[in-house]
Amino acid sequence: MFPTGFSSPNPSAAAAAQEVRSATDGNTSTTPPTSAKKRKLNSSSSSGSNSSNEREDFDSTSSSSSTPPLQPRDSASPSTSSFCLGVSVATSSHVPIQKKLRFEDTLEFVGFDAKMAEESSSSSSSSSPTAATSQQQQLKNKSILISSVASVHHANGLAKSTTVSSFANSKPGSAKKLVIKNFKDKPKLPENYTDETWQKLKEAVEAIQNSTSIKYNLEELYQIMIRSIFLFLDRTYVLQNSMLPSIWDMGLELFRAHIISDQKVQNKTIDGILLLIERERNGEAIDRSLLRSLLSMLSDLQIYQDSFEQRFLEETNRLYAAEGQKLMQEREVPEYLHHVNKRLEEEADRLITYLDQTTQKSLIATVEKQLLGEHLTAILQKGLNNLLDENRIQDLSLLYQLFSRVRGGVQVLLQQWIEYIKAFGSTIVINPEKDKTMVQELLDFKDKVDHIIDICFLKNEKFINAMKEAFETFINKRPNKPAELIAKYVDSKLRAGNKEATDEELEKMLDKIMIIFRFIYGKDVFEAFYKKDLAKRLLVGKSASVDAEKSMLSKLKHECGAAFTSKLEGMFKDMELSKDIMIQFKQVKYMQNQNVPGNIELTVNILTMGYWPTYVPMEVHLPPEMVKLQEIFKTFYLGKHSGRKLQWQSTLGHCVLKAEFKEGKKELQVSLFQTLVLLMFNEGEEFSLEEIKQATGIEDGELRRTLQSLACGKARVLAKNPKGKDIEDGDKFICNDDFKHKLFRIKINQIQMKETVEEQASTTERVFQDRQYQIDAAIVRIMKMRKTLSHNLLVSEVYNQLKFPVKPADLKKRIESLIDRDYMERDKENPNQYNYIA
Amino acid sequence: MKVKIKCWNGMATWLWVANDKNCGICRMALNGCGPDCKMPGDNCLLVWGQCSHCFHMHCILKWLNTQQVQQHCPMRRQEWKFKE
Repeated sequence: MFPTGFSSPNPSAAAAAQEVRSATDGNTSTTPPTSAKKRKLNSSSSSGSNSSNEREDFDSTSSSSSTPPLQPRDSASPSTSSFCLGVSVATSSHVPIQKKLRFEDTLEFVGFDAKMAEESSSSSSSSSPTAATSQQQQLKNKSILISSVASVHHANGLAKSTTVSSFANSKPGSAKKLVIKNFKDKPKLPENYTDETWQKLKEAVEAIQNSTSIKYNLEELYQIMIRSIFLFLDRTYVLQNSMLPSIWDMGLELFRAHIISDQKVQNKTIDGILLLIERERNGEAIDRSLLRSLLSMLSDLQIYQDSFEQRFLEETNRLYAAEGQKLMQEREVPEYLHHVNKRLEEEADRLITYLDQTTQKSLIATVEKQLLGEHLTAILQKGLNNLLDENRIQDLSLLYQLFSRVRGGVQVLLQQWIEYIKAFGSTIVINPEKDKTMVQELLDFKDKVDHIIDICFLKNEKFINAMKEAFETFINKRPNKPAELIAKYVDSKLRAGNKEATDEELEKMLDKIMIIFRFIYGKDVFEAFYKKDLAKRLLVGKSASVDAEKSMLSKLKHECGAAFTSKLEGMFKDMELSKDIMIQFKQVKYMQNQNVPGNIELTVNILTMGYWPTYVPMEVHLPPEMVKLQEIFKTFYLGKHSGRKLQWQSTLGHCVLKAEFKEGKKELQVSLFQTLVLLMFNEGEEFSLEEIKQATGIEDGELRRTLQSLACGKARVLAKNPKGKDIEDGDKFICNDDFKHKLFRIKINQIQMKETVEEQASTTERVFQDRQYQIDAAIVRIMKMRKTLSHNLLVSEVYNQLKFPVKPADLKKRIESLIDRDYMERDKENPNQYNYIA
Repeated sequence: MKVKIKCWNGMATWLWVANDKNCGICRMALNGCGPDCKMPGDNCLLVWGQCSHCFHMHCILKWLNTQQVQQHCPMRRQEWKFKE
């Protein structure tokens, strides 16, 4: 703080002093020790008017002197500073040189570094009158030095005071002890000081208005003075008189009224701003700080909204509409999306850097609307399928993010998502040629879709549900086939020899299959095929692991209920029972020490009829040893379970034979039929088809297949004459003694495992038959309950009851058939109504 | 070529031994199951009477429960006794 002794008599000095004080307040970093000293000086001053230098004591000050010490405002604005500048300049304009000299004098006196002061002032002189706040800062910085100098100078000129000496000690940065002495004389005010100063002020303002170029250091000097005067007025007079606006506000008002409101000025400014922004959008680098200051000026003048913002938004709208159109045509979807993202980021950045925050919402909304909102469907149609096909995760995530910003974006995306799944899924399912790979492709597709939902769509519920619906739709487009293929797929996985997957992997895969299984409507087709395959697996012993089977079974139970799986469970139970029975049988055999004819090791699987698929029993001519063996077992079994009889299934039996060839001994794993045929060749060398048929009693079709497997397959134990793939009447067969094979134990009963086309067709037929019975039963049940029902109601009820999809035409046929069989009748009055016949 | 059977895995289904095809009470196949049972097999047993008529176990038990005074075979009205 400056010594207060200076301030009262000399307004300029006081102004300077105040200025310095405020400056020091604002810039404590530059002269902390000095300010401390000054405060000390301040507080200890004796003159009453001096004490008024404290900010609090305004009133006393005003009363004591004509131009009391002013308290300059801390936040000097550019406009005020300009005024101050002008004023300060004006006052000194007539004596620039003299002042300068005095400057130097005082500088020497005080020991200041004149150069330092000059330099600091010149650096701040680079700013224009309409300076930005940064310059104000600089001014403040330098003004300390200068004002300190100035005040010294003034003090020198006007009052001799001992405080000078004390001031002389207060170099910036020095921390010496100061001696404060009082003024000896009260400083005298020159007579017409008020008028003179007023005149000076006026001239200063005029000079500034006329933009006369003035030395900047003097500007600052007088700026300080002006500001001190005006600001003091502001604080005291205006505050007391609430009707008047403060200097700051008044300045703004005047600026707005006279400068900005002028249309030309305004238009030019706004055009310039918009042009700059457009340039920046096009990629050029512009002066952002300039824009920032301009825009904050506009918002301070309160014309931001009206004059700038509206036009800005219009411009933005127009620009981005055009850009959106153009780029949609030119660019691919992923690049377009990246571009949009970039633009959004740019605008956000722009908002932070120089635009006003109030524009944020509307600006972002505009950009989004123009770049995205207009083009939602176009983007999706053009690019979504590609992105999904190629599984471009990042691009899809970006797409989702951008679309979720726009209203209605997610809906459109959802729609397209559904369409895509349906389309792609249908191609997998519909094509009969792709049957073999259908299930695998379905699984892969499901995986991909799940992955996309997880990562790109952030597990949005709507998307998950939509996906499920879409899957359901396309899987059932082709009735029955997917179910059948899934059953086959599971069969192939559960068979022995499938060493691809570990147990866990198998588990996971089964789980995935179950998920797809859930979507299928006609699950009974699946059951039929699965049952058949399971039976085969169990009976021929081809199951990979009982655990895997059991786990699959439990999954099915969980999915479809116990009724579905009861038969399958029954099959497993039978296998267990059979094992137990065999153990007992063996014990009995040992105990009885019976001579098993031919030392044949017999294992029998007892099947309970209801659980297993129906097998047509066939009578064949077994060789005597086998017959005898059969009898032994039969007796044993019937002893265990009275009231039962056994029906042997020759189609299912299989044997292991020991055969001798020229190459050596081999073991052959063959079906029962194949055994019978081969055993014949023990007696003779060559047999014809008819002879074999006669001897074995095997049915014709089966026999042909059997012979084909023995003579025309990979392992040819028999040779056919004439050669060929098919079995014709009159073919002759001889045993192939030259038979060679790298393995010792050869399986030739593959035919049993493979499903013929007829079997498949027959299974499907059976399923349809069953369905017909179910439909009939459902109709009769409903009619019995309702007694009389219209056609449409009946149809809807049947749909509710049945678990599989029914065609309306089929339903009609069944109704007709029931009417024929007198289960129901058509109502006489209303042909659309049916009555139940008890 | 000399072929000899080493082991034989045979399959057989078991059926109830009965002179009739259908149960006299429910008129369903004896080797099938009665109206109350879901599955044929060990759960749905057959029962013979001394008159050598054969019924589903569940069917004949139901019948016998409804009879107040004397238990007789539903086919011939002879006295009913389980065949051991």
